[in-house]
Amino acid sequence: MKKLSILIFVLALGCGVEEVTPTTPVDDNFMTGMATKINMGVIMGVNHTVSGTATIYEQDGKYTLVLDPFQSQNGPDLKVYLSKDIGAKTFIRLGVLKSTTGKQSYALPANINLSEYPYAHIWCEAFSVEFARAMLN
Amino acid sequence: MKKVLILLISLVPFLSWSQIKYGDVTGAVGQREGSLSVMYTCAWQLGAKKKFEIGIAGRFTTYLGQNQYYITAPAKLTSGSTGPLVIFKENIAANIDTFLIQSPQVNALNIAIHLGYQVSTKISVGFNIDALGFSFGSKKSGSYINGVFGQQEQAKPTAFNALLISDNDLGSLNSELFLKYQLKDNWGIKSGLQFLFTEYTTDTEVQQTPEPNSRFRDKSLLFAFGLYKNF
Repeated sequence: MKKLSILIFVLALGCGVEEVTPTTPVDDNFMTGMATKINMGVIMGVNHTVSGTATIYEQDGKYTLVLDPFQSQNGPDLKVYLSKDIGAKTFIRLGVLKSTTGKQSYALPANINLSEYPYAHIWCEAFSVEFARAMLN
Repeated sequence: MKKVLILLISLVPFLSWSQIKYGDVTGAVGQREGSLSVMYTCAWQLGAKKKFEIGIAGRFTTYLGQNQYYITAPAKLTSGSTGPLVIFKENIAANIDTFLIQSPQVNALNIAIHLGYQVSTKISVGFNIDALGFSFGSKKSGSYINGVFGQQEQAKPTAFNALLISDNDLGSLNSELFLKYQLKDNWGIKSGLQFLFTEYTTDTEVQQTPEPNSRFRDKSLLFAFGLYKNF
């Protein structure tokens, strides 16, 4: 019986089909020269190979997070988060990571207090695994 | 009086019955999730040819998943009402939030209702559904997601299970539509579809709009295969 139950659960776990992040380089062409830099941080991998810089810009009263340069190990269901704490207990989902490489921008919701969200994360949502983070100063 | 007597006499063939008892073990799998259930059924065969079965059962179900998205459970939120007509109502997407649990594991012990029909000497079809019971399992952490905003939260399986109507259901309930094939005198195999509800209650009412809520449900459609034995 124990073997049967293990087999069933192994089969169940093996049935999952995960979508991975596109690897084609992106260039969102966000004009950083036309915007005001608010804060930025170096992206550090967390048990994964990720590197780059995360910067928040303000343009016409709207905030945008820009990853440039950016390079990430691939993974399933990768999302871009801003969070209030290092463990991302309270977070804002900025969207699906557009690509594992290239300059990419993510609009922030209106009416948020930026000082409450000092961390940016690359987060595998489905598996609750953090790929990378940047502390924004 | 004469008509009533005739009616009763005409019903006699359908009122004849005999009792059967059997147990089964069923495994079910889906995408990144699975269940194992053990069931003991006491049924009565009805009708002149005893082809129909109706019975009551006890079922223990254990469910294990990986990265499952639970959604707002109460019918009042998902459908805007709690009446019996809720089954015909469309979900109100704006009221439905998500609770993502990395490794949900729920155990449920329920009393179930069983219905069956003997197609031939070796083949029968049936349906069963949990009606009342309780659930238990360890506390799990998950991500509550409301649009772009999210937070980590702890949750436990909802303790009390009750079959009501559609999203009015409470707790974790299993149901199966199956076909059984008798291999030997007293045992055989069964296969079919399992529709399993599992439910978690968060430590706090993480959902605040349109009203506070702490119950989140996952509806799993699984392929089931099992063995049964007649007693």
